[in-house]
Amino acid sequence: MSLDREFSEDGTELTIFLEEKFDFGKVKDFRMAYSEHTEDVTSIVINLQKTEYMDSSALGMLLNMQKSLSDSVKSFKITHCRPQVLKILQIARFDKKFLIV
Amino acid sequence: MRILVVDDDTLNRFLLVHMLEQQGYLDTFEAEDGGVAIELAKRINPDLVLLDVVMPELDGFEVATQLKKMAGDIYLPIIFITALDDEKTLARCLEVGGDDFVAKPFDKVVLAAKIRAHARTRLLSKKAFEQNKQLTFYRNAIEREHKIVEHIFANALSVNKSFTRYLDYCLNPASDFNGDLFIASASPTGGMYFLIGDFTGHGLASAIGALPVSQAFQTMSRKGLSLMEMAETINQTLLMLLPDDMFFAAAIVEINNTGKQLDIWNGGMPSLLLQDPSGKIVKRFDSRHMALGILENHEFEADVERYEMQFGDRLVAFSDGIVELENEQYEMLGSEGLESWLKAQPDINVEGIISNAKEYLGAMQRKDDVTLIIFTSQPLEQVKNKGVASKVPLKIVIELDAKHIKSTDPVVDLVSVVTNQLSLFGIHSELFTVLSELYNNALEHGVLELDSELKQSDSGFFAYFKLREEKLSNLEVASIVISAEYLPDENALAIQIKDSGKGFKQQPMSKLENLEKSYGRGISLVKELCESVEYTNKGNTVDVVFKI
Repeated sequence: MSLDREFSEDGTELTIFLEEKFDFGKVKDFRMAYSEHTEDVTSIVINLQKTEYMDSSALGMLLNMQKSLSDSVKSFKITHCRPQVLKILQIARFDKKFLIV
Repeated sequence: MRILVVDDDTLNRFLLVHMLEQQGYLDTFEAEDGGVAIELAKRINPDLVLLDVVMPELDGFEVATQLKKMAGDIYLPIIFITALDDEKTLARCLEVGGDDFVAKPFDKVVLAAKIRAHARTRLLSKKAFEQNKQLTFYRNAIEREHKIVEHIFANALSVNKSFTRYLDYCLNPASDFNGDLFIASASPTGGMYFLIGDFTGHGLASAIGALPVSQAFQTMSRKGLSLMEMAETINQTLLMLLPDDMFFAAAIVEINNTGKQLDIWNGGMPSLLLQDPSGKIVKRFDSRHMALGILENHEFEADVERYEMQFGDRLVAFSDGIVELENEQYEMLGSEGLESWLKAQPDINVEGIISNAKEYLGAMQRKDDVTLIIFTSQPLEQVKNKGVASKVPLKIVIELDAKHIKSTDPVVDLVSVVTNQLSLFGIHSELFTVLSELYNNALEHGVLELDSELKQSDSGFFAYFKLREEKLSNLEVASIVISAEYLPDENALAIQIKDSGKGFKQQPMSKLENLEKSYGRGISLVKELCESVEYTNKGNTVDVVFKI
């Protein structure tokens, strides 16, 4: 199943909604979500409001996304983390690369 | 129709009874004086009394007074038969409780007509009395039932005392039962949730939905679920339970363990207000969703709003009962009115607002339930909903062969077994991360002999993924054994994962600070989350201790 996503009205901001589990099983879907029809996107929002489970492969996938889009996308945000997921992002120092709100 | 004839004159009694017989009234009794009349009336309970005025001993006036008293609430017609025709006597007849009079010698036609008229009134009165009795019975029965339900509600919906130091609140029902609902609960991660809601209407019918909502809310809070999931579940429950014309406007709020971060889901409630210590309203959390119990699952949206408060900021939540208060000029208070009170007195508490509201109402009656909650941002020290773990040492072992490894991902199942068994819902995410890292290492590097370096780039990541799928589908013989042992004395989980692979050389771990590499941070992450991590047996076995 592909991930839900939402474009802002002017098409420059893309929000990707992750599911309950964000791990290696999402490699394909996640990659599709940030690479298809995203030519105009300059800002990416990763919405983790549903996500309860996350592991290091998800972290790797996030970093890979950032690397591969670094030419066109200027802002990467991670939003609506559950407290436990936030803790994992903080342990992994992700606040240095992503705006976590 | 039972008629009592009271006269000391035998002939008179005979004439009256005879006349009554002619008119078809056969159920008649006679009394020759007042005393006998009263005793007889007690026994026979007459429907009408024909009463002589002048009698020795007790006269007609005295008898009438006593008979009326005995009749109580049911109308007992008393018709005086009197030879006296002075105005004073006639007036007296009516004053003492008589209902009519007929002069002696009586006119048969007139008397018969009067008897019929009074009999009709007697019948009506009896009917009304019966109906009254029934009404009283029903009212008592309902009152009793309400008392019982009220008792259950009070117990089921009471707000735990540990929140009252953080939440200033009041619930003021317009009738015995509240269509408004306020519940609060701690989350397992040291934060808390509260829900303020308003069922359509008020009274018992609208309060009935409160029980399932409260139950679902408490259960989900204990598990530390997200507001999304809460809103979805409550919506589903109400959709199933409530009739179509009934629904539940609600705002659900989660405050995390810092006491600052707010998540809000608002479906159909007035905007929640955020004011800074100077009283200024800095943010409004408007309703972004439809009320609960209306939309089907696939139409339902549950995205939440997040906000970072500063200590001292106040979140004010209320039901429409307060903003719809009308004063004597029939003007509604409105949210502007409420906001002006908050601005005028930035530290006004709930009691202060309620007393302002009373003043505003003046002589008017409140029509709807009024619920008001103020949360002041502050460190949450007392709030804990850590489950009580069992004292029994417990060990769960999962043995997977090639078939299982290919078809399942055991990690989420294991996490849910452990957290449910030990009632430790707060640790589910961390435990998942730890188990997922260890399991995937055992599978990918141990069993499938994959090399992480493939994951260097975005395309490498994908290639790795494909290779993993491929190798997995060709897997024929393998085993992975996971054991999780609960150590009650240390309050920790000892986790071991053993795989059947050849063993692998541990890669130099990436430092977590190094965010350039997109792989190799798994074990570093596990080290941060666990007390100890130890690989033995050429990397085939890993042991970690996870503090709870």
